[in-house]
Amino acid sequence: MASLMKSSRMAARLVTSATRVARRGYADQMDFTLASGNKVFYTNQNVKQVSSRMAARLVTSATRLARRGYADQMDFTLASGNKVFYTNQNVKQVDVPSFSGAFGILPNHVPTLAILKPGVITVYETEGVSQKIFVSSGTITVNDDSSVQIIAEEAHPVDSLDASAARDVLSKAQSELSSASSETAKAEAQIAVEVAEALVAAAS
Amino acid sequence: MTYWRAAGLNYIQYSNIAARTLRRALKTEFRADAEKREESFIRITPWKDGKPIKTSSPSSSA
Repeated sequence: MASLMKSSRMAARLVTSATRVARRGYADQMDFTLASGNKVFYTNQNVKQVSSRMAARLVTSATRLARRGYADQMDFTLASGNKVFYTNQNVKQVDVPSFSGAFGILPNHVPTLAILKPGVITVYETEGVSQKIFVSSGTITVNDDSSVQIIAEEAHPVDSLDASAARDVLSKAQSELSSASSETAKAEAQIAVEVAEALVAAAS
Repeated sequence: MTYWRAAGLNYIQYSNIAARTLRRALKTEFRADAEKREESFIRITPWKDGKPIKTSSPSSSA
């Protein structure tokens, strides 16, 4: 997943540079850069075509979006078992913690599926207005049409968290972990410790 | 593979534990309401010859 994200980020960069070139009217030219952690393969070199399935899909979706005129828009939905926070609301940016690393979602993000990690989601609604929501777990879907859905099992504004209750939960989970005998009990306690650590960090 | 997967847990179980832990760390005014959702009730009505026999009182399960 991590390498997929890396390659998709690179593909996104490709799309951006291709768009810029097209705008300048250099339709037959492409400044191509291909770099990895270990080597730089191309630096702004003019090439005929670059093909990768991901890039092709991106170009298609970017074109489709541009045609529809949704370029700067993101339909954001965030719901949990206890509350619906956003329904198809246009927001600027969403930062999410996932098992494949924390990442930010802007309009026109690469279509993505990810699993939520317990932690804080930051939603940038408009310039200067943001909301922080703690999520336990769930899924993130970024679609082709720039809509984003986050479904969480339990979600609460960070303001609703109690710092001292979070510390209590953490110490209880830690003592459960040290006294756990079976492999399953140990894993269950370890999960609780992890979540509690995230809670303490978010609440303080 | 994550440690909890290695221990035979799945993401649903992981999610349950994470959600429960989050509910425990809420401010008191929100906690009572949130913890209500942890309980579920089952009402069992046995039927015989097309008629309900008796209705047991709801039993709580975690």
